[in-house]
Amino acid sequence: MSTITVKVEFGGGLELLFGNKRVHSISLPSFVPADNTIAPSSPPNSETPLLAESDDPPLPANGPIPDPMKGLGEMKAKPLDVQYLMHYLRSRLLTERPELFMDGDTVRPGVLVLINDTDWELEGEGTYEISDGDEIVFISTLHGG
Amino acid sequence: MASCGNPIADDSALMLSRPRFDKGKHCVKCKLNLGNIVIRHAVYCRDCFTPLVIVKFRRALEPHVNANAGTSKRPKLKASGSLVLGFSGGLGSAVLLDLVYKSYFAGRPPTDENGDPRGGINHPRNVSVWTSCAVCYVEVSSAIPEAHERTEEMRSALASYPNLKFIPLRLEDAFDESWWCRMTGNPDMSQLTLELGKDGLPTEGLNLAHSSNTLSPKDALRAFLTALPTPTAVSRAIQVLIRLLMFFTAQFHGASHLVLGSSLTTLAVSLVSCVAQGGGHAIREEFQEEWPPGLSPGVERGGSVRVVRPLRDVTMKECAAFAWWNGIRVPGRPRLTRVITGIPGLTKDFVVRLEKDYPSTVSTIARTCAKLEPKGTSVGECWFCYSHLQGGLADWKARISIRSHPNLKVVERLASSSPADSSVHPDQTSRLPPLDTHLCYSCITMFTSRSSRKSSFAPPLIHHQDMPLPRWVKPQDAEEAIPVSKNGELWVRSRQSEKECRESIADFLLPDN
Ligand SMILES: [Zn+2]
Ligand SMILES: [Zn+2]
Repeated sequence: MSTITVKVEFGGGLELLFGNKRVHSISLPSFVPADNTIAPSSPPNSETPLLAESDDPPLPANGPIPDPMKGLGEMKAKPLDVQYLMHYLRSRLLTERPELFMDGDTVRPGVLVLINDTDWELEGEGTYEISDGDEIVFISTLHGG
Repeated sequence: MASCGNPIADDSALMLSRPRFDKGKHCVKCKLNLGNIVIRHAVYCRDCFTPLVIVKFRRALEPHVNANAGTSKRPKLKASGSLVLGFSGGLGSAVLLDLVYKSYFAGRPPTDENGDPRGGINHPRNVSVWTSCAVCYVEVSSAIPEAHERTEEMRSALASYPNLKFIPLRLEDAFDESWWCRMTGNPDMSQLTLELGKDGLPTEGLNLAHSSNTLSPKDALRAFLTALPTPTAVSRAIQVLIRLLMFFTAQFHGASHLVLGSSLTTLAVSLVSCVAQGGGHAIREEFQEEWPPGLSPGVERGGSVRVVRPLRDVTMKECAAFAWWNGIRVPGRPRLTRVITGIPGLTKDFVVRLEKDYPSTVSTIARTCAKLEPKGTSVGECWFCYSHLQGGLADWKARISIRSHPNLKVVERLASSSPADSSVHPDQTSRLPPLDTHLCYSCITMFTSRSSRKSSFAPPLIHHQDMPLPRWVKPQDAEEAIPVSKNGELWVRSRQSEKECRESIADFLLPDN
């Protein structure tokens, strides 16, 4: 199983929802569950993320990445995309008020997403397939005038 | 696709959204680079995007800089005073600050050892558009339980912009006699209050009284907010306080211009929310206004402040991308005030959601509202928010309202308020007029509308006898102004006796039996 490392950055006050940490380096498997399930032991919307006390999920150097496909049997897989990344961020890194980050399967209206410095609307939004080394920025515009 | 909200509507009733962008992925401007951002269905590259925002900013600001338009098509920009910038710490005002600074203040000439510009103040190189620029921040933490002070954080955010003066204000300054005295040079220390009913809310007649309490400005602010009936009223009151604190401050500092960081998106929110709260008569002021109000055009405007919103054509999304790509630090608004409640909060959610799927509708809101003209004449200013007062408001309200008066005192006052009985009160001159005839419709609603849910916003306090009002609420004229319409016609109001009233509608009355 190969892994993909992606740099995630938060701006415009959105970092406050993620423990006030702006930049995160995240490694994820290249194939993930098509229904965006994060891990069998940590269902989406979990109030207590498994890694709440640590900074980030383990990097490749720190040990093997748990394979989210393992044990899922016939579960459908898809290449890692931005939509899965967002579900992952919400389940594992978000520390408060998930409604300010996501709305259904997409970002909340008022959050600008840049993929490698380009508006994600030009890149297929949530369906964009992440490559190793991509930089993805989430910027909140909701902090008024 | 978005639902029209009707659960039984069929699919054809759904509004189809256009694709996110119209043509290819190349920039519509240079047609060379791959695009980086989609603005209202048009694709721009990063190189073309930044100048686009700067052009929109200048186009919205510069026609308002010179006191008079003059005849020259491109007049030399010269303001008659200094510039004050309203800074909330939010995205719009952070972008505005950066644009203003880099456009008009960054290229300041080197100074000599005395701090004066080399070559003298009148050297052409040294003539800038505004004499100076001050940044005004209103600290709102006192209004919100458990909020922390952010004034120093805002001050440090300005460190990268040298030569700007920082003016920190506090929301409770509105209730502070020393602040008011400094602003106006007027040693009048009286503070007015509103009588409160048994429920701790203002009574329907909005009876004014002279203040007998000695609350600190902070406690006065809290008592004021606690006595407001709805979350919408609290949101609006805070907005009015911030706005007037800035207006008085700008005037005090000799500013010819006050610039605010409202983007197209926030402008659309405030327009819709203004109309929804009954402020349609003053809608033009949401775009542009002059302070102090009430001077007719053409009158010598010495000492007046022009309020401009230079980002009124730039959407929130453009502001966010501009700030990101230009490394502009956005401190963020104080966390709890972002959670605005009531009509303003709901309107913001609605407009932001609408903008995501239909990016052009937001500018349609602004363009449509820009065409609106208030009907009827203005008869002065509202005592609380200083916006235009619509003529004939009390009559109109009396016609459309069905009111019950559980408060006996109000019934008595209404029943006996004919001029004839004024002799009963020998101290007539010192009596205060009821506030309700001097408030705009939004303010009357703010003080008197009742909610089924009590505001959970304000901290529960010991109940006060009365509600302190901001220092600027003063009886402005002893005499009721007599409204005169454009054709010179006088409008005089007089109360009909019950007999006269009956006679005038006699034909429509059913027999008593
Ligand atoms: Zn271009
Ligand atoms: Zn008013």
